[in-house]
Amino acid sequence: MPELSYREAVRDALSAAMREDDDVFVMGEDIAEMGGSMGVTHGMLEEFGPERVRNTPISEMALAGTAIGAAMQGMRPVAEIMYEDFMTLAAEQIVNQAAKARYMSGGQLTVPVVFRTQGGAGWSPGAQHAQQLEAWFVHIPGLKVVFASTPEDVRGLLWSSIYDDNPVVFFEHRTLYGIKGNVPETIEPIPLGKARVHRDGSDVTVIATGRLVHESLKAAEEAERDGISVEVVDPRTLQPLDEEALVGSVKKTNRAVVAHEAVTRMGFGAEVAAVLQYQAFDWLDAPIERVGAKFAPLPFAPVMEQFVVPHAEDVYAAVRRTVGK
Amino acid sequence: MATEVRLPRLGQGMESGTIVKWLKSEGEPVEKGEPLYELDTDKVTQEVEAEASGVLLRIAVSGGEVPVGQTIAFIGAEGEEAPASAEKPAEAPAREPEREEGRAAAAAAAERQPEPSAASVSNGRIKASPLARRIARERGIELSQIRGTGPDGRIVAEDVERAKAAPAPVAQAVPSGEVESRPLSNVRKTIARRLTQAWTVPAFQLTVDAEMTHASELVTRQRELYPDVRITVTDVLTKVCAQALMRHRDMNVQYTDDALLVFPNADVGIAVAAPQGLVVPVVRAAERLTIAQIAQVRADLVERARENKLRTDDLEGGTFTISNLGMYDVDQFIAVLNPPQASILAVGSTREQVVPRAGELHVLPQMTMTLTCDHRAVDGATGAEFLRTIKSFLENPALAL
Repeated sequence: MPELSYREAVRDALSAAMREDDDVFVMGEDIAEMGGSMGVTHGMLEEFGPERVRNTPISEMALAGTAIGAAMQGMRPVAEIMYEDFMTLAAEQIVNQAAKARYMSGGQLTVPVVFRTQGGAGWSPGAQHAQQLEAWFVHIPGLKVVFASTPEDVRGLLWSSIYDDNPVVFFEHRTLYGIKGNVPETIEPIPLGKARVHRDGSDVTVIATGRLVHESLKAAEEAERDGISVEVVDPRTLQPLDEEALVGSVKKTNRAVVAHEAVTRMGFGAEVAAVLQYQAFDWLDAPIERVGAKFAPLPFAPVMEQFVVPHAEDVYAAVRRTVGK
Repeated sequence: MATEVRLPRLGQGMESGTIVKWLKSEGEPVEKGEPLYELDTDKVTQEVEAEASGVLLRIAVSGGEVPVGQTIAFIGAEGEEAPASAEKPAEAPAREPEREEGRAAAAAAAERQPEPSAASVSNGRIKASPLARRIARERGIELSQIRGTGPDGRIVAEDVERAKAAPAPVAQAVPSGEVESRPLSNVRKTIARRLTQAWTVPAFQLTVDAEMTHASELVTRQRELYPDVRITVTDVLTKVCAQALMRHRDMNVQYTDDALLVFPNADVGIAVAAPQGLVVPVVRAAERLTIAQIAQVRADLVERARENKLRTDDLEGGTFTISNLGMYDVDQFIAVLNPPQASILAVGSTREQVVPRAGELHVLPQMTMTLTCDHRAVDGATGAEFLRTIKSFLENPALAL
């Protein structure tokens, strides 16, 4: 099994799809010669040329609209929105056009576009460059939303997203680009809507996304030393949500913690908590705990940034509260 | 303000009690803790103490059966007016400790009764997790009888599980299943008759450990040589016991009232757990058979035993029996004699054990065997020598040649 970094895994999925299929191309700000702000598309210009690795002007609305138009015409574009925060600028096109076209055309149009973007705290990029806005898009009927946390997942899920006939908003976390992991020899598509159990446990289920998957695994190890058995589940696809897997796990453990880097209030975990309380009400032995960022703009000062976003110890504290310790 | 005296719940499952007689009369002063009335429950008759001091203002129920929680009297200050009539019967005291009077009652009840104390209650609602509520509902357990150990006294699932372990309230007793009567099969009758007969025989047991490294190797080697035959430790044991019986002819015997019968061949019975019950088919003249031949005979016998197709002559005439429970991970056990045979070997599992050898510790595969002997036919030393031979053959199979 080859080992790839998360960054290489994204590039591998993009390149493999472009080699296989002339309809697939990538576009975004500074993705060609520069290889993107995170270096994900590095080297792709040389292989595929400027026609298929397209630099765009600094207008997220224009580039999103262009990608949507191309998708309506039968292409499978992958548009990179440089920072998740700039999804706000592309939102009109994504929310009002991409998400609605198939429905409003009575199925005559499909919009097989992927909007890749990245964000998150960790490098002190400040309040306008480090947000986690995935919940905004989970709220929109007509969009699929993916948030992958490992190299294997990001590659298999991106492949499935490219070949999904619906618009997919694909979130990557900045601090994960460097992590390495084994991936299958050839790309194995991971179906959208399937959660992954990273670790089996019997006392508490932690449902985590993105960076918090790794923080939760650390917390689970610590909990194990204290005799608490923690199951860690990553939904991977936020829309559609693998409710069956999440509810099933909580019915087994009777306790749940939801964890993400986005602010807790109205975060993705709120929806998960609602699903759990409704479908697993009679199995819950403790209130569902939520772990997320404090309700504040992300500070620039590194120490303050770290204070605002959650870490393994926050997950562990929540785990302990669920078991009453 | 007068204190209501309510009929307490003196035990789980108590729904009502019968007031036999009052020990104080209206207008009489009472001290908290003084016997106030006699109460008859389905279990006992006992004196119930006053929960408050003052004057017994009014007796609301002078006698007869009263549901738990109903107001039966009022205690108050001298000259105080008792409420005109008792309010409608309240729920059990445990349900209303949020009321001042109720709390006193509950506390008094707790002093008398080492029953589970009241659940954490807030505004009349018991704090319990949804899971705890579901388990309690399914098992018919009253949450009010459970003390919560979660945050703020919340009842969590574990608390309900613990309550389940307490004796179930009488009212919720589950009707027990009916006793099933199965007619005795002939096999079962035979087992009962023969083993009861065995119990009348004076028997003794000898236990020894054998190191199984070489015996296990032998099984492996034999399997390689005869891949079509499934050779097991039992087959090696059968061969080894047969050889040992030939060397210790005094063991290959049967006691009768007239004479001791000494047999020319080692006809080794093997205890088989068949669906219809224990059967012991016999491998004839095992000393003349190779291990592979024994395995074939044994496989045929076991298969027919499982299919209930053994014939009488498969089962008769054994001179010795092996009962091997090693495959069930039994360390060691004592077998009951298989009459009229004079001995039976009980074989446990082969397991790794720490064995000291020449001042050093070794981890070796060890197997424990217990030989049961009919003392009428065999003496201890005879059995011990026989067992030592079996041990040495197992530890060094070449010696059996």
